[in-house]
Amino acid sequence: MTEKPKLGVYICHCGINIAATVDVEAVTEYAQALPNVVIARNYSYMCSDPGQLLIKNDIKEKGLNRVVVASCSPRMHEPTFRKALQEAGLNPYYLEMANIREQCSWVHEDREAATAKAKKLVAAAVAKVRLLEPLTSREVDAEPAALVIGAGIAGIQAALDIADAGFKVYLVEKSPSVGGRMAQLDKTFPTLDCSACILTPKMVDAASHPNIELLAYSEVEEVGGFIGNFEVKVRKKARYVDVSKCTGCGDCAKECRLAGRFPNEFDEGLGKRGAIYLPFPQAVPAKYTIDPEKCLFLTRGKCGKGPKCVDACRAGAIDFEQKDEIVSFKVGAILVATGFDVFDPVRKPEYGYAGYPNVITGLEMERLVSASGPTGGNIVIHNGEEEIVPKDIAFIQCVGSRDQSVGNEYCSRVCCMYTAKQAHLVKDKIPDARVRVYYMDVRAFGKGFEEFYDRVRREGIRYVRGNPSEIFKRGNKLVIKVEDTLTATPLEDEVDMVVLAVGLEPRGDARKIIELLRLSQSPDRFFLEAHPKLRPVDTATDGVYLAGCCQGPKDIPDTVAQAKGAAASALIPLARGKVAIDAQVAEVNEATCRGCGFCVSICPYSAIELVTVNRMGHMVEVARVNEALCKGCGSCSAGCLSNSIQPKSFRDRQILPQIAALGGTR
Amino acid sequence: MDLNKLRETAAGIVSRDDVKYLIGWRRGTFGYRAAPYFVEDAAGVEELIFSPLCISNLAAYLTLVEKLPVPRGQEPDQRKVALLVKGCDSRAVNQLLVEKGIKRDQLVVVGLPCPGMVDWKLLAEKYPETEAPVEISWKGDDFLLLYNGQEIVVPRAEALAEKCRLCRHPNPLISDVTVGEPVQPWAPAEDSGVAEVEAKSTPERWAYWEEQFSKCIRCYSCRNACPLCYCEDCILDRLDPTWVNRAVNFSENTAFHLARAFHLAGRCIECGECERVCPAGIPLGKLNRKLAHTVREEYGFEPGLDPEAEPFQASYKPEDPEEFIL
Repeated sequence: MTEKPKLGVYICHCGINIAATVDVEAVTEYAQALPNVVIARNYSYMCSDPGQLLIKNDIKEKGLNRVVVASCSPRMHEPTFRKALQEAGLNPYYLEMANIREQCSWVHEDREAATAKAKKLVAAAVAKVRLLEPLTSREVDAEPAALVIGAGIAGIQAALDIADAGFKVYLVEKSPSVGGRMAQLDKTFPTLDCSACILTPKMVDAASHPNIELLAYSEVEEVGGFIGNFEVKVRKKARYVDVSKCTGCGDCAKECRLAGRFPNEFDEGLGKRGAIYLPFPQAVPAKYTIDPEKCLFLTRGKCGKGPKCVDACRAGAIDFEQKDEIVSFKVGAILVATGFDVFDPVRKPEYGYAGYPNVITGLEMERLVSASGPTGGNIVIHNGEEEIVPKDIAFIQCVGSRDQSVGNEYCSRVCCMYTAKQAHLVKDKIPDARVRVYYMDVRAFGKGFEEFYDRVRREGIRYVRGNPSEIFKRGNKLVIKVEDTLTATPLEDEVDMVVLAVGLEPRGDARKIIELLRLSQSPDRFFLEAHPKLRPVDTATDGVYLAGCCQGPKDIPDTVAQAKGAAASALIPLARGKVAIDAQVAEVNEATCRGCGFCVSICPYSAIELVTVNRMGHMVEVARVNEALCKGCGSCSAGCLSNSIQPKSFRDRQILPQIAALGGTR
Repeated sequence: MDLNKLRETAAGIVSRDDVKYLIGWRRGTFGYRAAPYFVEDAAGVEELIFSPLCISNLAAYLTLVEKLPVPRGQEPDQRKVALLVKGCDSRAVNQLLVEKGIKRDQLVVVGLPCPGMVDWKLLAEKYPETEAPVEISWKGDDFLLLYNGQEIVVPRAEALAEKCRLCRHPNPLISDVTVGEPVQPWAPAEDSGVAEVEAKSTPERWAYWEEQFSKCIRCYSCRNACPLCYCEDCILDRLDPTWVNRAVNFSENTAFHLARAFHLAGRCIECGECERVCPAGIPLGKLNRKLAHTVREEYGFEPGLDPEAEPFQASYKPEDPEEFIL
């Protein structure tokens, strides 16, 4: 820097967030005395309009060329103050923030000590800001397409919205059909409309939309690049059925030698399927799939005298030679809608789910009451001795939710209402049934929920407050041991059937998505949003958005609302056609770089490559940074033995004086 | 060791048009010394030796060669360099390949299975150095000394160098040609040097290293002899920022040695050159081997075994342990 540094230091009260713990006047006085500081001020809210105006006016009137703002985390307001600098004609990267809120006032109680620490943090920022360099951010084109991972209701809705806005969508679904969990449900609470009736048209729309390319039975393998320019590789798994020929007639499945031998995933194992199957009648695409782990021909190379499905298929669609296929494409935004798993009640052995066939989960109950389910909607169950129509039915709530013993402290938000709905359906189908619901609290918070809960109770369903301790068998009945906590009475309830209202859990394969997209998890293990209140659909990875239960348990209306929100966010880079590239990227000193390639391996964003340069007549390899990909994380710098790569604004010579001011020696 | 076979192979290699020179050893000018030797033509191979005195790791010369500016209009010399390697030396070559310090196609590696080297300082206690060069060869498991015209058999345990006692890879792990039959690896000894320091309490350990590092005269021999310390512009020499000051004192010496040790973690192939060349007798091997042990035990990684390996310091696995770090 050739010009003499002229610093302005601005200390924010953040209402009482900072001012209650830190003596802002004392910090201001201290800052005023620091070298090169022209003006130090404090103000109630620096981020407010008048606060920013203070900075802008000082830049203009006092000729400031560097600004320190001591307030909150730069994650919160760095963009705000950079913009203020820019509007006053100063390079926006001449700003340094001292975090005296999250890293000081919020975590300390002793006012004197907190004030002393705030002074140090300000002195450190002052030491660094003088050494900052002017940087210019750039823009690159964004690919006008989006990837949606998961085609449940969240993924389908988001894909439809983005496609309707005129952009190409690649909709990737792991299983053979779109529809997800919602397709498995019978009726939806609290309005009792049929889940399939409202979902099926959307499934068909998603498959037939001219802007949507549906990749069912496919998995995302690789994601590279960055917002606006993601490079995606998807594995289309072999169905061993030529989808262009398959008419969905089902002749193959009838003939399969293993027909009816395997539990059908869609019916939660209550129904059976063969090795070639359609998951459910309304599946989209309505194409058959051969299960490669079950099919005799694929596992043993032999199926009787020849696979019967091949003979049965008049379209000649069966193709045992089919191979997995890798599809590559570029997108500008990625929407994650990978959904949830239901809690496995085997982890609550006291409820006997593993041993008693008449203890079932809520999702199994959905299939049992569904007209398209394995029993055609008749509630019949095997009690271990015979098939019966249960007359005494109990529901147990909060199985695997609000339960520290299984590691799930959270409320799954849907179980209270789906239990009420299922209790209603039982009463509807078996009018003389006695139905009890064992609950801890009933959470009927949504639109129409409380009304529905009232209606169900008026229908004669008894709610008993108590968390059952044990279920065991007596004769052909199940006995529930429970204490009615409202009357403090221990009870034993003999029933024919128990439905466990299992909660929602993060998917077992969530780790793969986390690694693919560099996502984080919140303590409940669901995917973490960028900000719980103000950026609920964004993630820490720019250009990657969340929708539905992968972010946390929610019901269908909330899922659809979030999907629409995520779609709107994903549309921002797509519609704008450009994305800004941060200027704080790593830079290589090609004169000292020895081309070892450590940084290339380390870089989590694949932003560095080795290039050959001419050094005094010798062709040598050195690292080079792709500024569009670099996030300025500094991992490369930590791994560089010759210190030849450093992030701008965080160079050693910039941060060492900062560390020294905090109490270092150099 | 069939020296004729070695010389014949070497002559064949240096006669090739695409080979610049071969780096090997020859007899030193006195006592127990063997000297690095650059053979440029077939006639030069007569002086080439491979004996229990050839302890030095010649791989360091691959990167020590200064790349002088090439005059305009001329092409840089692209001829290959041939190098004699023992098992330990070959690991340095592999590690250099992993970190792109050298190119495979610019190298001819002559592998020499190694039965173990002597530490001449151990020999000199009983048989002091003489003005005339002493000849040593392998005899079975032991060493045969030709000392003042007298043949003396020295039992292996009396003279084997420390790094050879700990050796797990006596046969070269990379080579274009091998001279001699592979040797049977022996059971590596317990690393008593490291164990001894580990057994100390923290204050004792600090006192130990304070004593050791205080001896350092910062001649940088360790850095120069190390085959894997080869940055053209070492960060410990830089002025902005100055990580290590020029002053030779305990504090700066410690900073120098610790920085070097950390830079070598997961890269050090335990050839022991740093300690061997130290004129102040600082047991640098203990420091580097301690880190090598940690890398091996905690991460299951040993550098220099595979030229295609991912560089340890630049690879990350989510299941990497971290609880032992501070």
